[in-house]
Amino acid sequence: MRRVVLAAIACVALACEPGLTPPPDVEPGFGGVVRFERGTWPPRDSLVNLWIFASQIYPLDSAKIFSGLFSNPPFIYIYPSFTENISFYVDSVAYAFKVPPATYRYVGVLQRFKDEITPRALRVVGVYVNGPHSTQPREVHVRPFEFVRNINMNVNFHKLPPQPF
Amino acid sequence: MRAIAHLILVLLLTSTAWTQSPFAILSGVVRDDESKQPLVGANVIVRGTVVGAATDRRGEFRLSRVPAGRHALVVSMVGYERKVVEDLTLTPGQEVRVEIELRAVPIQTEQIVITASRREQSLQDVPVSVSTVTAEIIALRNHVTLDDALRYVPGVNLLQDQVNIRGSTGYSRGVGSRVLLLLDGLPFLTGDTGEINWEVIPVYEVERLEVVKGAGSALYGSSALGGVINVLTRSMQEGMNVRFRLYSGMYDKPRFREWEWDSKARFNSGVALSLSHRTGAFGYLVSMHRSVDESYRQNDASHRWSLYGKVRYDLSSSQTITLSANLLQRVRGNFFWWKSLRDATRPPESQLDGRVESLRGNVGLSYKEFISEKFLLTVKAMYYGNDWEDYKREIRNYYSRSHLFQGDVQGTYEFSPKNILTFGVAGNYDMVDANLFGKHPGAGAALYVQDELEMVDRWKVTVGARLDWQKVSVLPSTTQLDPKIGIVYTLSAETRLRASFGSGFRYPSISELYIESPKNISQIPIVPNAQLKVEQSTSVEVGFNSRVGAHLVLDGAVFSSSFTNLIEPAVAFTENNEPYIQFDNVTRARIQGGEMAVNIDWWKRVFTTQIGYTYIWPRDLTENALLKFRPRHILYATGSFVAEPFQAGVDFRYVSRIDRIDENLVRFAPIPQGEQRVAIKVVDVRCLYTTAISSLPFRIGFNVNNLFNYHYVELIGNLAPVRTYFLTIEGAIE
Repeated sequence: MRRVVLAAIACVALACEPGLTPPPDVEPGFGGVVRFERGTWPPRDSLVNLWIFASQIYPLDSAKIFSGLFSNPPFIYIYPSFTENISFYVDSVAYAFKVPPATYRYVGVLQRFKDEITPRALRVVGVYVNGPHSTQPREVHVRPFEFVRNINMNVNFHKLPPQPF
Repeated sequence: MRAIAHLILVLLLTSTAWTQSPFAILSGVVRDDESKQPLVGANVIVRGTVVGAATDRRGEFRLSRVPAGRHALVVSMVGYERKVVEDLTLTPGQEVRVEIELRAVPIQTEQIVITASRREQSLQDVPVSVSTVTAEIIALRNHVTLDDALRYVPGVNLLQDQVNIRGSTGYSRGVGSRVLLLLDGLPFLTGDTGEINWEVIPVYEVERLEVVKGAGSALYGSSALGGVINVLTRSMQEGMNVRFRLYSGMYDKPRFREWEWDSKARFNSGVALSLSHRTGAFGYLVSMHRSVDESYRQNDASHRWSLYGKVRYDLSSSQTITLSANLLQRVRGNFFWWKSLRDATRPPESQLDGRVESLRGNVGLSYKEFISEKFLLTVKAMYYGNDWEDYKREIRNYYSRSHLFQGDVQGTYEFSPKNILTFGVAGNYDMVDANLFGKHPGAGAALYVQDELEMVDRWKVTVGARLDWQKVSVLPSTTQLDPKIGIVYTLSAETRLRASFGSGFRYPSISELYIESPKNISQIPIVPNAQLKVEQSTSVEVGFNSRVGAHLVLDGAVFSSSFTNLIEPAVAFTENNEPYIQFDNVTRARIQGGEMAVNIDWWKRVFTTQIGYTYIWPRDLTENALLKFRPRHILYATGSFVAEPFQAGVDFRYVSRIDRIDENLVRFAPIPQGEQRVAIKVVDVRCLYTTAISSLPFRIGFNVNNLFNYHYVELIGNLAPVRTYFLTIEGAIE
């Protein structure tokens, strides 16, 4: 009798267990916090735009930046959008960047400091890097239905990372 | 072809069949000694000759070409003690009838296997671990392809259709199998990728599978690193025999709405027809199988036609020749991996309109002669052709054609029952023409010898070695020597202890050496590596087999296998940091573990229970980590109930979650959520009712596979089948 009961319990346990389940319908992307070094913010007139960018290719050059932004589909994405900026003169900004599933090899903060649309008007002011002492970009893998958290970056406008162009 | 025709002609002309001496007829019936019920399918063979038959459904047999003289009749059947009827004296023209009763014994004992030593021997006399799967089990579980039949063999697990014995194989999508598949004793791996193609094997005509665990290259050569699986096709019964089998399966809906991609029911159905006829010296068998599997996944449907034929002619009571041929035509959708776990039953858009068309077949010739009562000569030859084409819509992307010719001449000489020598030569030639692999020939030759010796009472020692030579395309040739030694100690009539050492190797397949692909198969290019070295393994095993009382059999073993130069697909990077895939000798590994199988008969065999558990400790010595894609625990449990005319059974299999996979493969292929995996916990149930219509046997079976609709992957990014209901109808006209 005990065997039958044990078998029944085992069957119920197995019947209740689904195994793999589909993940929730999450819009893919990544997010985290951008921290700005106090006292390093530039004057307002050199803050035309401040964006977070995510590029599927690295290294970049001037030609690749524009083709990456405007190709279809693009391989460089901008947050929040071309017409919007992340907040100025704050200590930190939390962000949630919705991007297509892919590997992003170069993620960082981009400042447009001149009122012209050329690579000369752009500079990278922060990069998602391999570690606190590294300047090498760290990849971000975004899979379908997955939002990657803790992609945190530091920005020091007085100490810029190596420029890609 | 001309050479084969010439060989047949010579054999026919030299046959003693044309100078026929009068024969005696030996007939009889085989029954269970307790119930007195006739036993169907018992093998009856006149010792030292090729004269033999299987009993029909009345338990009857009739051997019409027994040479006059004094003979011994050997009768065997799975689950029964083997019986030898000695001193049957027959005179020309005489008909002798015998009645034989066999004593039931727990299954797995007194079974006859042939793969472990290339000759028939009792399972208990084998120094390595061997498991068998009978045609009856295959039919009861309604296995459509043979890989399904292996899912309940202790120590074996499958990564989809890629077989893995005791952790020998990782992820390779079938390329370069580390388990050697034999079809009636001859290697049956494709010439291009060196993989097992299960669908080519005519499941309906299989008599049994034998699974030999551990390195076996000392007898069988390349690819037997992890073990050997021998598929033995059935022999023809005396008289006319027509059989049919219809099955229809319906896939249930997955548990989750996200995975329902088709509102209609999906079916997996087929029909198999078989006709055989044997009268005296001549027999033939023809069978056809048509199946359509609509699959539970999008663009994964498979349509198959297969034809199988066999002709046997007994040139004399000591000589027989068998010609067999097999052809498979298949069209299958191309589902390589899922779109994502959220779309686990859909492939990525890029695979949606892909399909693979294949035409595969083999022609085999087997000649067997008892040169004397003590010397058996076996000659086998086979051609195995594979042709597949990969299409995207109507555009052919890839193709591969391979032609593999192989032969084997074996002698078995019995100096005495305590000293049996097996020796032989083998050779192969293959040619591959493929746009993925290029055009390359390959050739090999081998010598092997083995002696089984019982010098001291109770101690049986087997020693052997094989020397292989192989050359592929323009690469330098390689030679390989593989020794083996095995010991069986008879502790008592019920218990035998065994120990064995064997080595194995595998030449890289032509696909591993030469595959070259841009970013079409995966998202990153695959580049060739003609520098690949031979994979090698050594296996040590100590085990026992013991019958406890009349109803319990235990079989246990501990094992250790070492592998060097394991070839794996690995992601590497160019100087520009661009990733690519290349097959490479990346790993040294050691796999250790233990295995225990318990078989119990309850209440006069009305109930039977089989439990097999294997523990595997797979170490990657190069990376000092667990070896990728290997499970640690494998547990199978089967319970069966038989009360004629009803049979029922339940099977449970548990394979622990794969601890480690290749993260780079998942990332770069890319396989979205390819890292997602769980332990496998699957329950199958079955029932069968046997009856007769106008005295013709007829049976109806009902199976539910994956009863609890458990969702899991065997191969990363590939959801395993959902719950499936199968109805099977079988009948025969004799």
